[in-house]
Amino acid sequence: MAMLTSRINLLPTSRALASGVPLAPKISFAVPSAGHEHGGRADAIPKFAGRSTGVLSLSRVNALPTSPSSPRYIHTSPRTPASATNANGVPDFSPYRAKGQGETNKTLSYFMVGSLGVLAASGAKSTVADILSNMAASADVLALAKIEVEMKSIPEGKNLIVKWRGKPVFIRHRTADEIDEANQVDVKTLRDPQADDDRVQRPEWLVMLGVCTHLGCVPIGEAGDYGGWFCPCHGSHYDISGRIRRGPAPLNLEIPEYQFNDDEEKLVIG
Amino acid sequence: MAAPVYSTLFKRNSVFVAAIFAGAFSFSIGFDVLTSAYWDMHNRGKQWKDIRGRYIDKE
Repeated sequence: MAMLTSRINLLPTSRALASGVPLAPKISFAVPSAGHEHGGRADAIPKFAGRSTGVLSLSRVNALPTSPSSPRYIHTSPRTPASATNANGVPDFSPYRAKGQGETNKTLSYFMVGSLGVLAASGAKSTVADILSNMAASADVLALAKIEVEMKSIPEGKNLIVKWRGKPVFIRHRTADEIDEANQVDVKTLRDPQADDDRVQRPEWLVMLGVCTHLGCVPIGEAGDYGGWFCPCHGSHYDISGRIRRGPAPLNLEIPEYQFNDDEEKLVIG
Repeated sequence: MAAPVYSTLFKRNSVFVAAIFAGAFSFSIGFDVLTSAYWDMHNRGKQWKDIRGRYIDKE
């Protein structure tokens, strides 16, 4: 027997006739084959469907899809005929195989996966950061929430009261004597024990919220028994570091957030 | 070259994921530095930090 298998390209059929012949319209069953002088019936079982003896020449058979949903597959028959390169007719995939060692290939695969992970994690982090910064206060609001005070405008031993976020802020440029006085106080005896160093960033500059911690009056500067502030409402005495010394107030005067801008010699509160 | 990289970074998944996060951290910093450096170079002489000296006198 001799079979030419290389160019047969039969597509799948979804139905078969009762005689067992696959339903394949437009297929020519009248292809003359050896040994049959009368041409054959239209519904006769063709040789390719059952037998494998004799000479089959089906090189021009090209069955079309038999149902609308039937996919037209790309042919998978080997380019080279069977037994040309190997016995099974298995296609030669060597042009598609990765060159080089298997270890290198694996490392490269993981490297690509890792690089994608790096980019994705970085992008996710940026996205989250952008969303969060979108919810944060904008720069103009932040700028309005700060005030700047010229440090040169306050001579030593003088107070300045500025309004910041609707509240008065006391700024005192303290003298060396006042700093010594504030440091000499025994912290343990105080009602709200706090060292002077904890209340100032620089000893010569004392910045406090001018709101009495008792009921919220504004204390008077350079008054009281301790040389600091005195609240006229209920008689709370604060010392030169703004700590409560006598009277009903429970806590020291509050310290706002502030920093020094040495380039422009400004005190930035907020 | 490939084998030590594989054995140090990729072999254990915990190390791999940690390396990805560390790489993402350094990548985003490097990317920011690079892009802002390019931006500053592209807009040289136009930004406030470049022309600040013209308007504010140092004392």
